[in-house]
Amino acid sequence: MLKTFAAWAVFPMALLFLQPQSGFAQQTPKLADDEIASVAVVANQNDIDFAKIAEKRSKNAEILKFARTMAADHQSVIDQAVALVTKLKVTPKDNAVSKKMAADAKKTQKMLNAKSANSFDKAYIDNEVAYHKAVIAAVETVLIPQAQNAELKALLQAVVPTLKTHLEHAEMVQSHISK
Amino acid sequence: MNIRNPRGNSLLILAFPLIVLSSCSSAPEKYIPKTDTVMISQMKFQPAELTVHKGDTVVWVNKDMVAHDVTQVPSSTWSSKSLAPGQSWKMSVEESDDYFCSVHVVMVGKLIVQ
Repeated sequence: MLKTFAAWAVFPMALLFLQPQSGFAQQTPKLADDEIASVAVVANQNDIDFAKIAEKRSKNAEILKFARTMAADHQSVIDQAVALVTKLKVTPKDNAVSKKMAADAKKTQKMLNAKSANSFDKAYIDNEVAYHKAVIAAVETVLIPQAQNAELKALLQAVVPTLKTHLEHAEMVQSHISK
Repeated sequence: MNIRNPRGNSLLILAFPLIVLSSCSSAPEKYIPKTDTVMISQMKFQPAELTVHKGDTVVWVNKDMVAHDVTQVPSSTWSSKSLAPGQSWKMSVEESDDYFCSVHVVMVGKLIVQ
């Protein structure tokens, strides 16, 4: 059930972003800078929303600490993205990708909220591992290559080490929760 | 003048070896502590391992886009406050220690006192 949930969580992002070898012959979406900005903000906001649920529902100190870190870090990234697009006079523009990501996040939130107290921690951290893997793939294979503005591209490149550290941290917590 | 003064002669004789000694052998040079910098960048402490002398100062500078801290492990015997992007923190190093970022626990560093 939990494996199914993790696969379900990563599926929408993979479907949208990952290359055809995933088995789903989807075309890589073409995004302009204002659309990339929107995707970046939505991707970060989604993880803040997941963290808020964890802060409300979990009693596990390690999960709570991880969730606080996710909320703070992703807000920091949003703040810097907003500062950059304001400077560049770019208005983030909703698009098919950002809309689907937001819709999928709502489903994930619903799923997390429906979990029992005993199964919540594992469901949350499994989703964090899957979500960060999908977002890293999206940033590296879609957003960075397609960004036209050099400062936007640099910001996206600067985010990658943060996302990878989050993934490493999530996998460490997951190994403890899975025991 | 001193030759005529027996007391002065003895003082000269006593002082001579000291003068010779002080001019021929120098006392160990006093170590002047230096300052090293560890950049916190791309979610890493750079350099991750730093060798210093006791009393040296180490400055950690957060060049990342998220907040970090610098905390001794395993006992948290010393810790910086939360360092927002652009902020820095310094400490005089007294002994070798491992440290990490308590916010991002996979970020680790080491101080080695020679």
